[in-house]
Amino acid sequence: MISIYTVSYKNLLRKKTRSLLTVIGIGLSAWVLASLLGFNQGYESALNKDIDNMGFQVLLTAKGCPYEAATLMLKGGTGLRYMKESIVDQVLSNEEVEKITPMLMHAVFDPNKGESGGITAYLGVDPATFPAMKSFLEFKQGKWFSDPEAMEAVLGYEAAELEQREVGDTLLIPEKNAEIRVVGILKRTGTQDDGTIFLPIRTVQRLFEKTGDLTGIGIKVDKNANIAQFEEKLYQLPDVQVVSLAQVKQTILNLVSTAKVMVASIAIVAILIATVGVINTVLMSVFERFQEIGILKSMGAMPLDIFKLIWIETLVLCVLGGGIGIVLALGLSQTTGILIRRLLPYAPTGSLITLNSEIVITTLLTVVLIGLVSGIYPAWRAARVRPLEAIRSEVA
Amino acid sequence: MEINPELIVAQGLTKTYTRGSETVHAIRDISLDIPSGSYTAFIGPSGSGKTTLINILGCLDNPSSGSLLIEGRKILGGDRPLGEREMTRIRRERYGYIFQKFYLIPTLTVEENILLPCTFYRKAESEDRLNELLTFLGLEKRREHLPGQLSGGEMQRVAIARALINRPQILLADEPTGNLDSARSEEIGRLLKELNRQQAITLILVTHNLELARTADRIIELRDGRIR
Amino acid sequence: MMIRHAWMPFLFLLLLGVKSVFAAVGCDLNDPDRDVARLFPGSTGYRTSYASIDKKGGEPLLREVEKRLGEPFQGLFETIDVPYTIYEVLNGTQVIGYIHGVNQKGQYGGIQVFLCLDPNGVIRNFYFQKLTSKAAKELRSPEFGKQFIGLSLTDFQDYDVVSGKAAAGSSVSGIQNPVPEAETDFRASMRATKKNLILMDVFVFHPH
Repeated sequence: MISIYTVSYKNLLRKKTRSLLTVIGIGLSAWVLASLLGFNQGYESALNKDIDNMGFQVLLTAKGCPYEAATLMLKGGTGLRYMKESIVDQVLSNEEVEKITPMLMHAVFDPNKGESGGITAYLGVDPATFPAMKSFLEFKQGKWFSDPEAMEAVLGYEAAELEQREVGDTLLIPEKNAEIRVVGILKRTGTQDDGTIFLPIRTVQRLFEKTGDLTGIGIKVDKNANIAQFEEKLYQLPDVQVVSLAQVKQTILNLVSTAKVMVASIAIVAILIATVGVINTVLMSVFERFQEIGILKSMGAMPLDIFKLIWIETLVLCVLGGGIGIVLALGLSQTTGILIRRLLPYAPTGSLITLNSEIVITTLLTVVLIGLVSGIYPAWRAARVRPLEAIRSEVA
Repeated sequence: MEINPELIVAQGLTKTYTRGSETVHAIRDISLDIPSGSYTAFIGPSGSGKTTLINILGCLDNPSSGSLLIEGRKILGGDRPLGEREMTRIRRERYGYIFQKFYLIPTLTVEENILLPCTFYRKAESEDRLNELLTFLGLEKRREHLPGQLSGGEMQRVAIARALINRPQILLADEPTGNLDSARSEEIGRLLKELNRQQAITLILVTHNLELARTADRIIELRDGRIR
Repeated sequence: MMIRHAWMPFLFLLLLGVKSVFAAVGCDLNDPDRDVARLFPGSTGYRTSYASIDKKGGEPLLREVEKRLGEPFQGLFETIDVPYTIYEVLNGTQVIGYIHGVNQKGQYGGIQVFLCLDPNGVIRNFYFQKLTSKAAKELRSPEFGKQFIGLSLTDFQDYDVVSGKAAAGSSVSGIQNPVPEAETDFRASMRATKKNLILMDVFVFHPH
C-alpha cells in the first residue's frame, strides 16, 4: 500500500541534486547550532571542572600586583610577595571555612636550562591539608610525603618527564645544591599540576629562608555559606588579596560571552539562509508540479491533503539535514573544539564542546520547527491550486 | 427510490468570464440529461465550450447560472456556488478522470500511481480492485515499472486504472487519445467502450477524434457555447 | 568593583595556565628559530618533522635500536612511543644538516642532548639544552662539547653504555670527563649521544 509519506519522499528524489544541496545546507546550519549549544554547555562545565580541580574556591594571596607574579613565573627572578602564616588562623576562625591549606611558591633561576637559563618553580604544600583538598589527584607511582619537614618531592607527570625522575630518584635544586628524594609521581591531570614540583611547605620555607611566610592560602568554603559575604570579610584582612574563583569564572564567562554572541549570530544567519533555501526548494518544486497538484485535487485530494504532502516534503528535508548536522557535530566536535580554542582569549583544559542527548534533541527539534515553519508558505500555495488551473492549461 | 432515472441533469447551464473588458460566454443556457450507464461524447471545435461544459458536469467548476443535479439532488447552482471541499467530496465519491496528458508521477511505480487516489480517499478493497484493474488493463507485468519505462498507450491505461481505483459511477475522459497514435487510440476506445458496457460506468467523453466519438451512444456537438 | 576584578583573569591564567611553561616535554628546541640559527651557522631556515620508533618500525625496530645501543630502554619515560622532533636545516632549498635531541635520565634530573649533524651524520655541534647536574657548569662548557665535533655513529658503535668503556685508542676514548665525581652524568651524556646517533640513523640516514 502507498502512503502520503512515500509520495512526499519520492517527490524529493525527482531533483536529487537540488534536494541534496538543500539537505547539506540544513545540515551545515544544524551543525553550527549543535556545536554552539554544545559549546555553551561545554565551555562552562570545562571551566567548572578546572576550578573544581583546584580544590578550593577562594585563593588568598599577598597584596601586590599579580602582573608581577606572572612576569616572575615567565621570565624568572624574584619579587614574589609574601604574607604571614598567622593569617591562616585568622581565616580559620571564620565559620564559612570548611578547609584551608597554606602554600608557598618559590622560583629559582636555573642557569642550565636552555641557552640562557630558565626558571624552576617549587610549590610548598602542607601534607596534612593539601592532599585532602586535592583528593582527586592520582598517583602513577608512590604517594604524598607525610613529614612536613622531609626533603621529599612529588612531581606532576610532565615535571617528572622533563626531569626524567621516578620514585626513589634524587632531584637537585640548582641554586641551593640541595638533594631531594622523589616519593611520588602524579598521573596526568591536564591542569597546571602536571608541571608542578610539590615539596613539603616547611622544607621550602627552610631551604629558601622564608620561615613564617606564605604566598597563598587555598580556602574551601562551606557548601551552605554565603561566599560573597565571606569574601567581603576577607577583604578586611590587611595586606591580602582575595581571588574568588567564582568571580574569575564570571569574568571569563563575560569575556567569552562576546564570542558566544558572535557564534550565535553566525548560527542565526546560517539558519536563516537554510530556511530561505528550504522555502525556495520546496516552492520551486510546487511551481513545477502545478498541473500535477491540480490532478491530485481532481482525484479527490482535499487542500489539507496537499498541504500535508508538501509539508512532509519540507520536513523530510529538514530531518535529514538535522541528522547530518548532528553526525557532523558529533564527528567533528574535537576539531571544532580546537578551532574555537584558537579563537578564544582563554580556554579551559577539558573538552570545550559537550554534546549530550539534550542538545541533540534540541537541535533536531529546532531544525524540525524550522522545517515546519518554512514549509507553511509553499504548502499553502500548493493547497490553493485549483484543479481547473491544471486542466485549463490543456485547453489552449 | 429513484424518482429521476437520469444520473446527471443539467438545467440552463451558463458560464461567463471576463477577458479584459469584454464578457465571454463560454457556454450559454445548456440543458441536458445523462442517463446512468450511458456513453456520451461531446465534440466541437476549439473554443466551442466543450471543456467548460465537461468541467461543470465533472464538478470541477461552478456554473455562473443554471444548476446541476446528480441523482435528483441539486449539486451545483442555485443560491450559492459550491465550496472547494464539497466539490472535492462529490468528485472523489462519484467521479474518475482521465486527461490527454496522463499526469502520472514519474517517481512512483505503476502500482503506486494507480493507488495514489487512495491516499486521500479510500474504499476498503482497493487491493483487490488494483489486481482486478491490472488484469483488465493488461498491466500485470508492469506493476513495479516506472512511468518512464512505459509506452504512451500503457501510460494512458495506468491513468485509466488510477481513475477507476475508487469505483466511480462516472468516468470523465478529456481528450484521452490526444497524445496517442491511431492504433493506440483505437485500443483506448475499445477499453472505454468495454468499461461502459461491462462495468456499467457512465462515460462522458470530450474529443476531437470522430472515430472515437462514434463508439459513444450519443454524440453532442457544441458550437459557440450552445448545443447544435 | 570593575577595577578590582579586571586583573583577575590574568591571575587565573597564571593559576591554570602555568602548564604551558612546562609543556615542552618530548624533546623540542625551546626557541627553534633562534636555536637553529645559532647552532648551525650558515642556515637560512629549517623544516620540522616528527618520528617515533612506534610509528617507524614498531617492536622490531625497538629491539634493533636496543641491540645497537647495547642496553634495553629503561624507566617510565624511555618508551617506544616517545615522539622525536627532527629539524632539517636548510640553506635556501638545500638540506645542509640536521638537529635532533633526546632526553636522558641523569643523576639529579633530566638531560637533553642535542646534536647538529651534517648530511653524512657527522657531528658538527653538541648542545645540552637542559642539564641538571652538580657538574653542569663544566659539562656545558664549550670545551666539553668540542670533543664530540667530527665524530659520527661509526665512532660510537663500539662504545659500551653499560661499562662506559670505549676501545683503547679510539676517538671516543679521547673524550674526557672534566669532573670525575660527575661520572654518572658524563656516562649519561655519552649514552644520550649514542642513542641520538642511532635514532637519526634509523629515522633519517638508513630507514628501513
